[in-house]
Amino acid sequence: MLALQTWIVHALFIFFTTESVGELLDPCGYIKPESPVVQLGSNFTAVCVLKEKCMDYFHVNASYIFWKTNHLTVPKEQYTIINRTASSVTFTDTSLLNTQLTCNIRTFGQIDQNVYGIRIISGLPPEKPKNLSCIVNEGKKMMCQWDPGRETYLETNFTLKSEWATEKFADCKTKRDTPTSCTVDYSPVYFVNIEVWVEAENALGKVTSNHINFDPVDKVKPNPPHNLSVSNSEELSSILKLTWINSSIQGFIRLKYNIQYRTRDSSIWSQIPPEDTASTRSSFTVQDLKPFTEYVFRIRCMKEDGKGFWSDWSEEASGITYEDRPSKAPSFWYKIEPSHTHGYRSVQLIWKTLPPFEANGKILDYEVTLTRWKSRLQNYTVNDTKWTVNITNDRYIATLTARNLVGKSDAAVLTIPAYDFQATRPVTDLKAFPKDNMLWVEWTAPNESVNRYVLEWCVLSDKAPCVPDWQQEAGSVHRTYLRGNLAESKCYLITVTPIYADGPGSPESIKAYLKQAPPSKGPTVRTKKVGKNEAVLEWDQLPVDVQNGFIRNYTIFYRTIIGNETAVNVDSSHTEYTLSSLTSDTLYMVRMAAYTDEGGKDGPEFTFTTPKFAQGEIEAIVVPVCLAFLLTTLLGVLFCFNKRDLIKKHIWPNVPDPSKSLIAQWSPHTPPRHNFNSKDQMYSDGNFTDVSVVEIEAANDKKPFPEDLKSLDLFKKEKVSTEGHSSGIGGSSCMSSSRPSISSSDENESAQNTSGTVQYSTVVHSGYRHQVPSVQVFSRSESTQPLLDSEERPEDLQLLDNTDSSVGNFPRQQYFKQNCSQRETSPDSSHSERSKQVSSVSEEEFVRLKQQISDKNNLHSLKISICPSGQETVLPHGLFPFQSIWDSTLKHYIN
Amino acid sequence: MKVLAAGVVPLLLVLHWKHGAGSPLPITPVNATCATRHPCHSNLMNQIRNQLAQLNGSANALFILYYTAQGEPFPNNLDKLCGPNVTDFPPFHANGTERTRLVELYRLIAYLGASLGNITRDQKVLNPNALSLHSKLNATADIMRGLLSNVLCRLCNKYHVAHVDVAYGPDTSGKDVFQKKKLGCQLLGKYKQVIAVVAQAF
Repeated sequence: MLALQTWIVHALFIFFTTESVGELLDPCGYIKPESPVVQLGSNFTAVCVLKEKCMDYFHVNASYIFWKTNHLTVPKEQYTIINRTASSVTFTDTSLLNTQLTCNIRTFGQIDQNVYGIRIISGLPPEKPKNLSCIVNEGKKMMCQWDPGRETYLETNFTLKSEWATEKFADCKTKRDTPTSCTVDYSPVYFVNIEVWVEAENALGKVTSNHINFDPVDKVKPNPPHNLSVSNSEELSSILKLTWINSSIQGFIRLKYNIQYRTRDSSIWSQIPPEDTASTRSSFTVQDLKPFTEYVFRIRCMKEDGKGFWSDWSEEASGITYEDRPSKAPSFWYKIEPSHTHGYRSVQLIWKTLPPFEANGKILDYEVTLTRWKSRLQNYTVNDTKWTVNITNDRYIATLTARNLVGKSDAAVLTIPAYDFQATRPVTDLKAFPKDNMLWVEWTAPNESVNRYVLEWCVLSDKAPCVPDWQQEAGSVHRTYLRGNLAESKCYLITVTPIYADGPGSPESIKAYLKQAPPSKGPTVRTKKVGKNEAVLEWDQLPVDVQNGFIRNYTIFYRTIIGNETAVNVDSSHTEYTLSSLTSDTLYMVRMAAYTDEGGKDGPEFTFTTPKFAQGEIEAIVVPVCLAFLLTTLLGVLFCFNKRDLIKKHIWPNVPDPSKSLIAQWSPHTPPRHNFNSKDQMYSDGNFTDVSVVEIEAANDKKPFPEDLKSLDLFKKEKVSTEGHSSGIGGSSCMSSSRPSISSSDENESAQNTSGTVQYSTVVHSGYRHQVPSVQVFSRSESTQPLLDSEERPEDLQLLDNTDSSVGNFPRQQYFKQNCSQRETSPDSSHSERSKQVSSVSEEEFVRLKQQISDKNNLHSLKISICPSGQETVLPHGLFPFQSIWDSTLKHYIN
Repeated sequence: MKVLAAGVVPLLLVLHWKHGAGSPLPITPVNATCATRHPCHSNLMNQIRNQLAQLNGSANALFILYYTAQGEPFPNNLDKLCGPNVTDFPPFHANGTERTRLVELYRLIAYLGASLGNITRDQKVLNPNALSLHSKLNATADIMRGLLSNVLCRLCNKYHVAHVDVAYGPDTSGKDVFQKKKLGCQLLGKYKQVIAVVAQAF
């Protein structure tokens, strides 16, 4: 509903406006004032008056009016309803410079319609112009300028007004780009006072500056004198005459002048005293000038009474003073060159051209005289500045004069000492230092009177010879600078020679730099010697061409790959340095920098590696170790040699083979088991190293020995063990426990004991040493000595086999025993051995048991152990004396 | 205050003779009062002397410039063509009182000014390219304007003379070219001669 109403209102508004299209330009009201200009900070009131026609159209009155400034609604507190058609708005302290003010009405309760709009311009009235001044450039029109004062923010017009006492001139309107100056249209008229003032006017007011009244001639800036010319005088070499033409203003005003001059090569002007040029003139003679010197002049003028302005400087003009005789003798020196003629010397006389201020003209030639002691004088005219002559080894006196157009200079006298003259009396405390971009030399004079000093210098270089330049100083001078074309970063060798009346003194030299710089190259460091914890570095002194200054010190930087860099300062006089506290077997990187007073320069980086051992350290270790080893070996050999019987006893005792024991022959109940061969006879001689002898009482016949009981247990165990083996063949049996499951704890213990050691029969013979025993008793031996002899003697095995075959008809395969477990290998042994023991108890039982075992073994006729190494080991029947060694061998195989 | 009295008006008109040159101003009535736009400077006589020296210093050059610019026969017939035979030239008595000398100076300068105006006008037509001459004529006329202003100030301030009857030279507008040149040359010759006397008188 509201939207519809709005649409209708809009449509009506458009209708009304299009209906009155002829009256569209006729506003519904107006604002007074129309184009207000308001002073910033002041109050301003505007009134909007509605027309009756619009009021009727829109059914509005003055209360419907609202105001906007720059599209922002003005608060209603600033409105005042004057009457039915008029409403006013008041602004206090206006600060906006340019404000759009509109009068609006709200028609139909919601449409804002703009009735009228004005633009309020704000600004400030002009300030009184100050500092009004005028200048009259000669030949041009008067120009005045002033200070306009504060910014007005409004268009402000400045008008320069001027008048005579009897006449008013046309106003001078400023141009937009130069609002603070104006040039009048009329030509200036001198000697008539004119009154000038400035009027500043804008929309907010008009203000007039103070009037100034002056004669334009007092504000004149003359044109500079022109056609300035300079001429010299042949009579006086120290004067130049200037002439010029004054400006036309000189016709009716008096002028004063400024005249300035300088030498051609100088930039500093000297000025003629103003009191000498305080009156009108057109020429002036400048005095006290140097002969044969070019001077440059310029001149300017102004009104004599000082009112007005100085003219610009005239164009410069130059002139050269006339020549005069050279004012000073040339600097004179000599060089003695080697001569091949005996008794003669080649002397080169050298001299300096006189500077212009001493030559006082163009030097035409030089006159040289040469006088040997007590001989006639010889004259030479030379155009060059050097002259070479062969002279004898005597003392000579040479003189030199320079000649120009006007005359000759004083003579420079030089004593060339005799060949064998020994120079003495040098200067002392010779110093050289740069200052103000010059290289100064300072010395202390000798005690004797010195006529003059000769300073020679040359550039020290490894590539070029020292070509000296030189200069001469008066005898009173103790400090001077080298007047040559010196270069920076070059090492100069400076020599000072005092010249006495009787000849030159001893020269004194010093090195100096005009300006030092960091070296061009750094020193190249290398190792001279590298130790485990130290390294000796060495380097060469930098060539003088790359030093660029005095090498004050070196700095050695060294570091490991991962370590921090360490710097060591080394005095410049050194050429090697030892780095200590280094880490052995470490790569070090070293570089070296050389420093002058102006900075340093790094040299190339160098690497070296410290050795792991110091020199001789290996030898110090190896030699003693070797010696100790040799000594130990020697001692061991000696010991072994001395104790060979004992060692053999402990390490390799002779264990008798029970099967070969003669005891078997001794036993009346035991049939011979072997056919002893010749080899077996070796034991018959009683060569056993040790034999345990136990005497056992034969009275215990009723009760069997525990060992015998154990033998029985072994039989039991053999049975169980065999049964156990029947359950598994192959590698698994190697690792599996072969311990048989025996129900009786005694049996178990017995089995364990048996498995721990193999007990051998020990012959217990009470009839020892040729005594016939009454009773033959067998007992178990505690020895664990392996009976490897049997293994090495297959014939024994064969013998055993035959024996076994004869006894129990055991198959041959039974000799193949699993070597992984003694317990499993023992049955055969036990069988063989214990059968003998059992036989002492009951041969029938033994035979029966053996038969049982044989039955069992028939079931398992072949026992082959597949060891981890895949090696099959065959042990002979009944030869298992070293249980522990065997176990270790087994373990070795397993492992 | 700034309104000039009736007696001064003709004098001011003389100051603007450029616009009315050639026509002598009428003799103005007697009831003139002295009034200036601002007080006159106290150094008026010195300024008048300098102005006269300025005029005197340039008069000969102006004369030479003029007859040179006119071409032959003027440069070679100066005595005949440029002799100072000017009728009705205002008299000047160098031995008179200052007041008298100032009044006569006023008349003299007014006459010369008007005549220079005529000459300037004619020369712009006869010798439009003689810019140096035009410039010199204008500069001389400007100096004379300033001199008149100073003399008037002096007469008003010191002697309360508000009115001076002046006379002007003949109007050359209706004369032929040669006559214009000749009259101009004669006037400048006369001017050179008189101004030296006047300058000496002050």
